[in-house]
Amino acid sequence: MYSGYLGVDVGSVSINLIVMDDDNQVIEKLYLRTEGKPILMLKHGLNLLHKRLPAGFKILSVGVTGSGRNLASLMLGADVVKNEITAHGVAAITFVPDVKTVLEIGGQDSKIIIIRDGVIVDFAMNTVCAAGTGSFLDRQASRLNVPIEEFGIKALKSTTPVRIAGRCAVFAESDMIHKQQLGYNEEDIINGLCEALVRNFINNLGKGKEIIEPIVFQGGVAANVGIKRAFEKLLEKEIYIPKNFDVMGAIGVAILAKEHYEKTGHTSFKGFDVADINYKTKSFECGGCENICEVVQFIADDKVVARWGDRCGKWSNMSKDGVEAKEGEKKAMA
Amino acid sequence: MKIGMPRGLLYFHYGALWETFLTELGLEVVTSPPTNKRILDLGVKNCVDDACLPVKLFHGHVEFLKGKVDYIFIPRIVSIKQWEYICPKFCGLPEMVKNTIKDMPKMLLLEHNLHKPRSNFIKGFYQLGASLGFNMKQIKNSYRKAVQSQSTFEEQCKMGVIPWYFNKASLKVSKNREHTITIALIGHPYVLYDHYANMNIISKLQQRGIRVITPEMVLEREIDKHAGMLSKPMFWSFGRKLYGASMYYVKDFSVDGVIYLSAFACGIDSLIAELAERKIRRETNIPIALFNIDEHTGEAGMNTRLDAFIDMVIRRKEHENNLSTHGKYIYSC
Repeated sequence: MYSGYLGVDVGSVSINLIVMDDDNQVIEKLYLRTEGKPILMLKHGLNLLHKRLPAGFKILSVGVTGSGRNLASLMLGADVVKNEITAHGVAAITFVPDVKTVLEIGGQDSKIIIIRDGVIVDFAMNTVCAAGTGSFLDRQASRLNVPIEEFGIKALKSTTPVRIAGRCAVFAESDMIHKQQLGYNEEDIINGLCEALVRNFINNLGKGKEIIEPIVFQGGVAANVGIKRAFEKLLEKEIYIPKNFDVMGAIGVAILAKEHYEKTGHTSFKGFDVADINYKTKSFECGGCENICEVVQFIADDKVVARWGDRCGKWSNMSKDGVEAKEGEKKAMA
Repeated sequence: MKIGMPRGLLYFHYGALWETFLTELGLEVVTSPPTNKRILDLGVKNCVDDACLPVKLFHGHVEFLKGKVDYIFIPRIVSIKQWEYICPKFCGLPEMVKNTIKDMPKMLLLEHNLHKPRSNFIKGFYQLGASLGFNMKQIKNSYRKAVQSQSTFEEQCKMGVIPWYFNKASLKVSKNREHTITIALIGHPYVLYDHYANMNIISKLQQRGIRVITPEMVLEREIDKHAGMLSKPMFWSFGRKLYGASMYYVKDFSVDGVIYLSAFACGIDSLIAELAERKIRRETNIPIALFNIDEHTGEAGMNTRLDAFIDMVIRRKEHENNLSTHGKYIYSC
């Protein structure tokens, strides 16, 4: 086993890297916290992965997904750049071929994907608000001083149901605090929160959708057994959690990368050495018009590789001459 | 005399009418620029918190024009069709603006009230003209020209021109057209054609090689036909238009997908989007997505949803009625 496919999911809360072989088996997987520093953590992850893989291991192609996919694509030289919904759908279909429903809760978003006969036919994603996602659970766990890993186990110990308002994270938090002050015990409150989150998920995303078994639950929050039980209780159906539930996005995009390799036979992967390149981003406000766009410059070893964030395309289409825009230049372009 | 014309709300529907009327009277019309970050910031700062984004943007446009003009034109729109109403915020718009914007210059009011007799429409123009001291003849002439340019605008829309599309560069459609898909983009005109507010959704779709069609392109009788199938007449003009247009596009036009773009906190959208979504899901196989817009300027969320929706539409289209290797229909519902 000296070659494989790399899948990277740069999410808001975690960065996942996986290496997969020709039979879609995961050889190595890494789950790292983003901690708001996607570039640094991705480099760190690449280094770790390189050390773990046997010497001379060849990466045949690379796929990236997640909200940081464009950043990751520039760093790695990705062959496939895909949105999270397609990636999660592909992974679920590969491991559970007759899957009909995929529930996915990540750091900043939650999605429901409806699959019929191996094709995604419908999906919904949380709208403008990120309430009821992983980062909200994280925050509540740290407020209660409970490690997030134990959050679900505590919920299972609950004996009396406590109802928490689930429509909005802010309402949920104040409701939780009130219930605490009234003396309800912690396990019941945590369980109430899990149920509120699930109720909100089903009411918002599942609205008007036929949730049919087999149901696959993936994403980082699937580690929370409290949420799993709440789903089973509400839907009265069995929920299946795949082995690599936390890195399914990365797996999905690695499968797409494999398809790409089988079709074209080449890769634009820049190699593990990219971890040694000094990547950084710098942003500035363009003064060209009233939009005052926040333009980001992506810099590799003092050379500007790409620019984005402008609405008119003035900066992103500019010839990548490798020179960082100087203060005077920004004004001159204006 | 300089008249400020805020480029917001129903300017995207009646802009031609209003601008022509005022120009024909010999007035100088200063239209605020397309929404930009400064206008958005001004609007959010100078408007009540619970209004929808387009209303906030309108306030931003007014604030932008303040101090640059003698009058600011504010329409009071009660009704644009007989026996129908529109969102109440349009009816109280002058008061809303007057009471929230500090040092508001003189307002030039135009009332559109078609709820009862049709003659009310022209009455509003008479009142406006008279308030500036113009005589009947001048007003009548300008009104005629204004109505003419409005109908030219509407005819162009019906012919498939996406209105208010100034940015020619982004009209370029991507060359690798592997799939020809058509997506109906449904929403209020001030949501669909304010490219800053909706993060350039039309260009984004076109750059991905997709043909975009909007409710402005649907004939009135088609809208009436489809909206008329509801169990009870829809008394909101825009509700009827958006619902009728969505149903026309899915039933008689066979689009590949529908995207309903709604402004967060819009009362009419909250009902119509839901109604259209249910009907489309129940009665057709056409995928529909509901996108919300608000003050966000980060485009990652919009791009992800758009990409996923397009992926899905393409895959569904490819698999439709194709026999799989297992000998059964891959797509069935």
